[in-house]
Amino acid sequence: MTTATATVSGYLKQKAPFFSGHEWITLGIVLLAFAIPTLTANPQFLSQANLILIAATAALGVYIMLRLDLMSFAVPSFMAIGGYTVAVLSLRLGVTDVIVLGLAAFLVPALCAIPLGWLILRLKGVYFVLVTFVLTEIVQLLLFEAAPLTGGSNGLVGMPAVRFFGIELWDNSHVLLTTTGLAFAGFLITAIFTRRFRYEFAAIEKNDVLAESLGLACWKYKAMAFAVAAGVSGLAGFALVNMLMTAHPTSFAPMSSVNYITYTIVGGKGSILGTLVGAILLVSATDYFALRGELSPGLFGLLIIVVTLLARGGVIGTVTTLVRSWRGKGMRPLADGAARKAPKGGA
Amino acid sequence: MNAAAEIQGEALYAERMSKAFGGLKVFHDVSFTLPPGGLLGVIGPNGAGKTTMINIISGRLAPSSGQVRLGDTRIDGRPVYDNAGRGLVRSFQQTATFSGYTVSDNLRSALRFARRDLSVLERLAPLLDQFGLVENWNRHAEVLPYGLQKMLGLTMALATQPRILLLDEPAAGLEKSERSNIDAYIGFAQREFGCGVLLVEHDMELIRRLCPDVIVLDGGRLIATGSPGEVLNRKDVIDAYLGGGEEDDDAEH
Repeated sequence: MTTATATVSGYLKQKAPFFSGHEWITLGIVLLAFAIPTLTANPQFLSQANLILIAATAALGVYIMLRLDLMSFAVPSFMAIGGYTVAVLSLRLGVTDVIVLGLAAFLVPALCAIPLGWLILRLKGVYFVLVTFVLTEIVQLLLFEAAPLTGGSNGLVGMPAVRFFGIELWDNSHVLLTTTGLAFAGFLITAIFTRRFRYEFAAIEKNDVLAESLGLACWKYKAMAFAVAAGVSGLAGFALVNMLMTAHPTSFAPMSSVNYITYTIVGGKGSILGTLVGAILLVSATDYFALRGELSPGLFGLLIIVVTLLARGGVIGTVTTLVRSWRGKGMRPLADGAARKAPKGGA
Repeated sequence: MNAAAEIQGEALYAERMSKAFGGLKVFHDVSFTLPPGGLLGVIGPNGAGKTTMINIISGRLAPSSGQVRLGDTRIDGRPVYDNAGRGLVRSFQQTATFSGYTVSDNLRSALRFARRDLSVLERLAPLLDQFGLVENWNRHAEVLPYGLQKMLGLTMALATQPRILLLDEPAAGLEKSERSNIDAYIGFAQREFGCGVLLVEHDMELIRRLCPDVIVLDGGRLIATGSPGEVLNRKDVIDAYLGGGEEDDDAEH
């Protein structure tokens, strides 16, 4: 009896690290992007890096909601809210400080998400998917119709360059620095948020009825996740508007939600690294094959089917499974770690 | 070990609970009392409304009429997590664990959601050891044998240190040899944590062994209460189990 108690006490002393390796690697890669402008001035490369970081940050909105087993198409809606918030603030009110704008781009969508979440988070599965998709259509309509505020079909054009402690960030490389800063903020917030509440999110994902019966108020966590996902999407919207120097409804097209979902799923939805890797691979591939425009949603759809059927862990899940089987099966991760999330789709 | 039983709980009162789904009445006018730290068995044939009763008491379903009280607090229709926070925790008939998580993480989750300290697991250590959960500490829940998964789910409910445990057929699916685990579990819950236990069960031997009192449900009605010895010899109870005369109770509504 006492030995059992001692064994259990010993086990209880094992603590999982707050960030797993995947979080560190992901944040490291995003940080590296700060160095790109010192390495190259090639505008093609800079714009590519911009697109990848924006896509990855936007896809974090999908990643966060997938922690709760909810497939969200709402990313473009919240990007639009974040992007237009920034455009209105800078054009109409003359706010150019990147930190103030960044806070606004996070907080306004997050606050909008709270009443919306109250309405739609009671839905599950396909109904949630459907309603989030409809939401993107409604936001499109609002952007076109609320012309006095949004500029309607002309959008909001000619934003002044943003400033960081008074320094104007205006040229290509500065734009990339702004985007990287926003992406890093988005990834850091997402990493901390998803790790801080990993037990709660995993429990809601696997078995919410059981979680509630143990005393977990699931709706609070869903509402929080929806708000944070909206905020992070808003940061991506800011980065996009800043890059284009324009806020236009077409930047936030409903169909683009399919892209963000594809990045996360193809990269591997079990880990934050998957979202980044998915965005890097697919945005590069889109450019490489010059598949801009109409073709890419279709091909992305095909890719989702292939990944779902053959490697549900996505790129990262599959690689993790392979690495683990090379190392030998005896080494099961003890308490926690990114590897644990992967095997779901290993087959 | 701190064996001090914390018997300070409140009684659970069900008062004239009824439940109808549309026109279908599945539950009529059921009343009973579970005293603090007590153990009450609930038996009845399939479809008698036993699981519905647990769903109503735990808050998953609101009763159509009547009420459920914990001490002086009315708890029917309150959210499940609220009632769990008050110390009213249920177990599930099927295995209920978080798959993809180790035994350790499953137990830690339960403690976290109930805002309990990790040291509760040290108190539970003898039980965890007896069930074989200590030796499987770092294995994923879904790869464990059925019996172990079931005991893990039950132990998670107990780890929240409830005042009242609602057990929905804890022995269902367990092998004969594993059923003594349920005896140990209920004994431990009452002795160490001072839990009141409402035990819904089909295993009559288990009921006879453990329960001083039982209530019998049939067709959503409470047809008998008393000690297992006398209740199980009553003709109407035997008829209910063997499909005797009272069967069309449901049909007439």
